[in-house]
Amino acid sequence: MELLEHLRNRQRQDADLFIHRIFLDRYPVTLVGATSLIDLPQTVKLLQTQVRHVVASESPLLAISGGIGERIGQEELVKVFEAITEGKLIIIPDNADPCIKLFPISRKLSRSIEAPMTENVLRGGISAFTEDLDTNIGIVKKQTMTDKLRIHTYWLGSGLRRKATLLYMDGAVNSSFLRELQLAVESHSTQDVPDLQTLNTMLGFTRWSLVTRFNTTELPENASFALNEGKVVMFLDRLPFAIVLPSLVGDMFASDNDRNYPLFFMLAIRLLRIVGVLINTLMPGVYVALVSVNPDVLRIELAMSIAGSRVGVPYPAIVETVLLLVTLELILEACIRLPKSIGTTITMVGGIILGQAVVEARLVSNVLIIILAATTIASFTVIGFHNAISIRISKYVVLILSALFGVLGLFAGMIVISAYLASISSFGVPYLSWPRSKEQSDG
Amino acid sequence: MDKSMQVIVVYLLTHIGLIFFMYPTDIIECLETGHWSAILLGFAIHVALLAVYLKGLQFGAPNNVIDIYKRFGRWFAIVFLFPVALYFAVVIVITIRAYSEIVTLVFLDNTPLWAIMALLLAVSSLVAVYGVETIFRTGILVALLFSPALLLVFSLSFQNADWRYMLPLIDQRAASFSYVFREPFLLSFFAFTGGFLFLGFIPPRIPYKPRKVLLASAALLPMFMLSVYVPLLTFGQSAASLLQFPFITAVDTVNVSWLMFDRITLFFLLSLVGFVMIYISLVMWKTALMIRSVVTIMSPIVTILLLTASVFLACLYIPNWHAVERILWWNTLLRLYVMLVIPFVTLVLGFRLHRKGAAH
Amino acid sequence: MNVKNVIPYASTMLLIVGMMTLLCGCWDNKDINHRALPIVMGIEKSEDDYQVYLLIPMKDQDKNSALVVSDKGTTINEVIDKMNKNLEMQIDLLHLKIIIFDRSIAEKGLNDSLSSFMRAGDVSPKTIVTITEHKLRPLFERMNAASLNNGISLYDYFEKNAGWSPHLAQTRIWHVFRSMQSETKDVPVPLISAGKATALESSGSAVLRKGIMVGKISSDETLMFNAFAGMGSQGKIEVMNQASVLIVSDTLSHSTSLVENTPVLNSKLTLKVTIIETKGSPTATLIQQELEELWTARYIRMFRKVQSNRADILGLGQLFRNKIPMDRLKYWRDDYYPRLKFNFRIHAIIQNEGLLKMKE
Repeated sequence: MELLEHLRNRQRQDADLFIHRIFLDRYPVTLVGATSLIDLPQTVKLLQTQVRHVVASESPLLAISGGIGERIGQEELVKVFEAITEGKLIIIPDNADPCIKLFPISRKLSRSIEAPMTENVLRGGISAFTEDLDTNIGIVKKQTMTDKLRIHTYWLGSGLRRKATLLYMDGAVNSSFLRELQLAVESHSTQDVPDLQTLNTMLGFTRWSLVTRFNTTELPENASFALNEGKVVMFLDRLPFAIVLPSLVGDMFASDNDRNYPLFFMLAIRLLRIVGVLINTLMPGVYVALVSVNPDVLRIELAMSIAGSRVGVPYPAIVETVLLLVTLELILEACIRLPKSIGTTITMVGGIILGQAVVEARLVSNVLIIILAATTIASFTVIGFHNAISIRISKYVVLILSALFGVLGLFAGMIVISAYLASISSFGVPYLSWPRSKEQSDG
Repeated sequence: MDKSMQVIVVYLLTHIGLIFFMYPTDIIECLETGHWSAILLGFAIHVALLAVYLKGLQFGAPNNVIDIYKRFGRWFAIVFLFPVALYFAVVIVITIRAYSEIVTLVFLDNTPLWAIMALLLAVSSLVAVYGVETIFRTGILVALLFSPALLLVFSLSFQNADWRYMLPLIDQRAASFSYVFREPFLLSFFAFTGGFLFLGFIPPRIPYKPRKVLLASAALLPMFMLSVYVPLLTFGQSAASLLQFPFITAVDTVNVSWLMFDRITLFFLLSLVGFVMIYISLVMWKTALMIRSVVTIMSPIVTILLLTASVFLACLYIPNWHAVERILWWNTLLRLYVMLVIPFVTLVLGFRLHRKGAAH
Repeated sequence: MNVKNVIPYASTMLLIVGMMTLLCGCWDNKDINHRALPIVMGIEKSEDDYQVYLLIPMKDQDKNSALVVSDKGTTINEVIDKMNKNLEMQIDLLHLKIIIFDRSIAEKGLNDSLSSFMRAGDVSPKTIVTITEHKLRPLFERMNAASLNNGISLYDYFEKNAGWSPHLAQTRIWHVFRSMQSETKDVPVPLISAGKATALESSGSAVLRKGIMVGKISSDETLMFNAFAGMGSQGKIEVMNQASVLIVSDTLSHSTSLVENTPVLNSKLTLKVTIIETKGSPTATLIQQELEELWTARYIRMFRKVQSNRADILGLGQLFRNKIPMDRLKYWRDDYYPRLKFNFRIHAIIQNEGLLKMKE
């Protein structure tokens, strides 16, 4: 009873482990598993029913191994422990026969399908992915309804195990991209993936990337659209969203959900999002450039009113802008962390009290407040929170260059950002490529 | 996977970046009337050379220019291509220096010159380090971002045109082509020869159709015409010939009452400076490629950084605008070599390679 | 190229830029509220010195006020420099909208000062040029007292989309600059003085020949000029003996010929008018005839005046560019223009008679 001995040792450190002796028909066996993952009474009931059937058909008990489980030799300790961690039930016969691993009735540990939390849908399906991997795959399969869908499952990590699933559409997917992606996943499969940052490094992307290399979506509709486009969708166990690879620039502006609107309206809102991104990255820079370096570009009326609003402001435009930008970022960050009920208070304090008082005290000019408000609003017109973050950073590059070189710095900043975006590619697919046609690159 | 689009866009915007500054000055200085003949002549030469060069490359495919020359011996390549590398290096120096001077003249009179040169160089070398595919994609993105400003300025630039300045259409001098060997006309080739050599350096993983590039070059003709005729029609030849940058000043006279900005020149100018940064990064990348084909141990980043540093020092060493103009003139010899010899030699070598390939 | 290698490079670049910021601060960049943005500049000559006046709007949002600064010096730039020393802000002339020259300066010629503006580029070439026959100090005080909106509205007096009326010539620095170089084109410059109820009043235009004031024409004659130059006379109400009409549109056509070395110009101006009031009961034909006679007489009078000044403000020489060879065109002002035969015809069309019918 070497195995049982090991298990008992383990039980002393892991209270969750149960070792339960029962009789199946007339054979004494030991059931081993994790209490928190297995619904034991139900499972035993199921076992008894099955055993009764087996006995009725007068075949040996071990035949159940062919039915609902698979054999593991008693000496294969690692495998046994792995199975227990995964939530399987292990049946150890009292004689030296190999033990049997089987799927028990597990406890319900994930929530039911709900509406998305970070993405809003106005027109279209609103059920979102959950933490349960199989549920997610099921939802996607229901959404796509095609036999071309291919699914690969990997176990990632050595200490902290995690199941990952790659889904792609046969025929649509860019085969060289898929091959390289699979290679990257397989070659790093022993690496632990506790978060998306490590996933990033596992897939071979640099950690300093300002742009997310994979989009995340909570909506099955978006995932299935991505699959149809030839992208690869990846699910990680316990993450309630799909990871879509590769991420392209178009994903900032175009969502599948747009197609539920009339075509003209769809084009208009996509244009609006592009304008939003431009406003967000450029406006603070434009303000600083025009106020402190190139005021001659403004019309005189505008120049006078901005100058008037800046009378008495004690520091240069760049300091003013950075101060207010940082305050806005703080408000944003605070709003995300706080529960919804307190969030409105922050809006009050930040928006009204701070905004009003700051202008009254002549700490910043009110034109700047207008500009930065527009900037902040504009940054969330893009699709997906991950994209909003990356464009939030890029405006500081433009800001610094504008403070130094005026409008020239603004343009130089635009080129630097363009070049940065252009330099990104994931597994041979450039960030700046258009998803429709697989090969052609376009802005 | 045809990437002609990228090649064409980069081809067009590097030329557009070069056209609007020195080119109109030279052409207006060159002739009193009938400027179109000088423009057309220069353009025809450009297209002819482009066609010859592209044909040679097509024969020599899939090799790039360096490889084609190297097939005929390492020293052969060094002898023929060294002037080209030198030309490129001088072009980077001149362009950086001239454009930062323009920027200070037109709108950044408080900013020290070295800072502007450092910015232009830093941005271009950053883009160059990323490599040619990035340069091409950046080109497309930049073209998309900046072209609205350009189109706006082009459509507004005729606001003050007096079409009668177009007349008389031709005179003795223009008809006899007597201007061809004079300094201004030769200098005006700066705008023609600057860009097209890059077509020979494109690696085979960016395939393009030479015919499309040749067709796209037609889009440049209106640009050349605009750059010369907008100032001519606004000021007349005698006033325009006094201006250092005629096109910029002509755009400065445009009065737009519905725009929130007073000087649309600035946006126009800066779009062009943006294009020029792309151009410089392209030339830098080419030069680094040539250097590395001889000194193979250097990594691309080190090569480009060294190049950047030496260009920066050279730029600091040039004392004034007059010196820039002098260097531009001395560089004409190299330019003539690059624009006349290289395309034809490439054609001959490419043809021989092609025959050899066919014989095997 | 391996992207990973680029990251240290990019961060080094960022570091350098950051260091630059720290080291140099922002060189000489002055925020907009530390710059004085004058709207109007007045230049007067007292003995050998220039007396320069600037009208600088104050930026306090609540108050409508402007500041008049004046100083003396041998050149305009020297005066500006002096003012800079005394003022707590830096003077930035790029937003200058109006330049007022004293008549005595205009009679000596504006060439030097305007050329220096064009050269330095610190004054926009779009700035409006005006001449006054009175002292500048009272004019500036009047402008300061009567202007609204910190004096910015003064500019609207000349703006076509605001308070401009077709009685007023609209001449900018670059127009004068062009005429200084041109053989065939001169410009009228509005003559202004302090108004009684309003800030400014116009009393016709000065005629500039190659940048030198040689005569003047009245407001009504300036209207003729504007109609001829295509600036439009729309909205102008013409009061005659029998009726008043409102000009709706005007179109102009020319034909030119050279008869025995004498230039002949036939012009036809088509006016479309509507009748707004009548005295007694004239017929439409009568009104039409009266209008035609009135305008023709005025045109001829204006033309004779400028012809005798040998100043071609209508730009008639331009029409002969393809008739007279370029080398002869140089003598247009002195040789051809005084001999020019100008046959002018007005064709008036009464577009409608308003809401009341007229008896035939």
